[in-house]
Amino acid sequence: MLPAFPDRVPWYVVGPLMGIVVVLVYALLNKRLGVSGSYTQARMFVLGRSVAEPWRIWFLVGIVGGATLTTVLRGGFVVGTDYGALGRFLPLGLVVPTLFIGGALIGFGTRWAEGCTSGHGLAGIPSRSPASFASAATFFATAVGVTFFVHVVTGGAL
Amino acid sequence: MNRVAALLGVAFGFGLGAARLNDYDVIHDMLLLREPEVFLLMASAMAVALPVLWLLERGAWHTPGGGLMRLSRSNIERKHIFGSAVFGGGWAITGACPGTALAMPAAGVALGLPVIAGVLAGQILRESIAKVRPIAPGRRRA
Repeated sequence: MLPAFPDRVPWYVVGPLMGIVVVLVYALLNKRLGVSGSYTQARMFVLGRSVAEPWRIWFLVGIVGGATLTTVLRGGFVVGTDYGALGRFLPLGLVVPTLFIGGALIGFGTRWAEGCTSGHGLAGIPSRSPASFASAATFFATAVGVTFFVHVVTGGAL
Repeated sequence: MNRVAALLGVAFGFGLGAARLNDYDVIHDMLLLREPEVFLLMASAMAVALPVLWLLERGAWHTPGGGLMRLSRSNIERKHIFGSAVFGGGWAITGACPGTALAMPAAGVALGLPVIAGVLAGQILRESIAKVRPIAPGRRRA
């Protein structure tokens, strides 16, 4: 019998795997890995507009497939409305708009900055791009700052 | 090219799911600086990619279908700072980034869907503002 798939595969396995994917996207496709750009391309496809980079849509489909694979290896789907500490802190009727607004900030910001954690972080920094160093430093600093602010405002509940 | 992209996406998505980066609590604990796991994951990914990409660039690596490999580099502009600050706020609120949000419904987390819907809405809003007030000219993302 195969050993059970770990609840959380350690960083020293997943990190290098992701680093290799970043390298392969460059070495095979001559592109910078990035996920926020995949959303844009998928949106164009759904709207029937011309898709400049169709490979990004396939990359997006692959991400969903790969993540689904880990769920299957852990024993399958249990669809639910859990959302960790945030889901326990807010009622469902408030979690949904909060997540939508938070998502909108993600979409607005990554479109503006032309990259996200993967594009500017995982791929941009190894590309030695000054814009990516600045972007990653900014989104990490802001995210940590906002998280601590929320932590204080919620009395430590979040 | 598309098939290769899909396979690489599978590997990337597998990593996101395997490390539970699609779990609000994992990202929230990282951003509260309670545990170093995700920082170490990202740092090790960069530590692997940076020297290999440097070597490939130095060796003038030719990609199978796209000619000489070129690393995408841009100079720092206001948009990178302001945009990333807005993104950081959204990351803190949702515990998700565009990649991990995609991996949420794949783990049965239905509330990943409003995050994804929000990302799309935010992109559209940014594009409509950029049409009215064009952003400063700069190198387009590769």
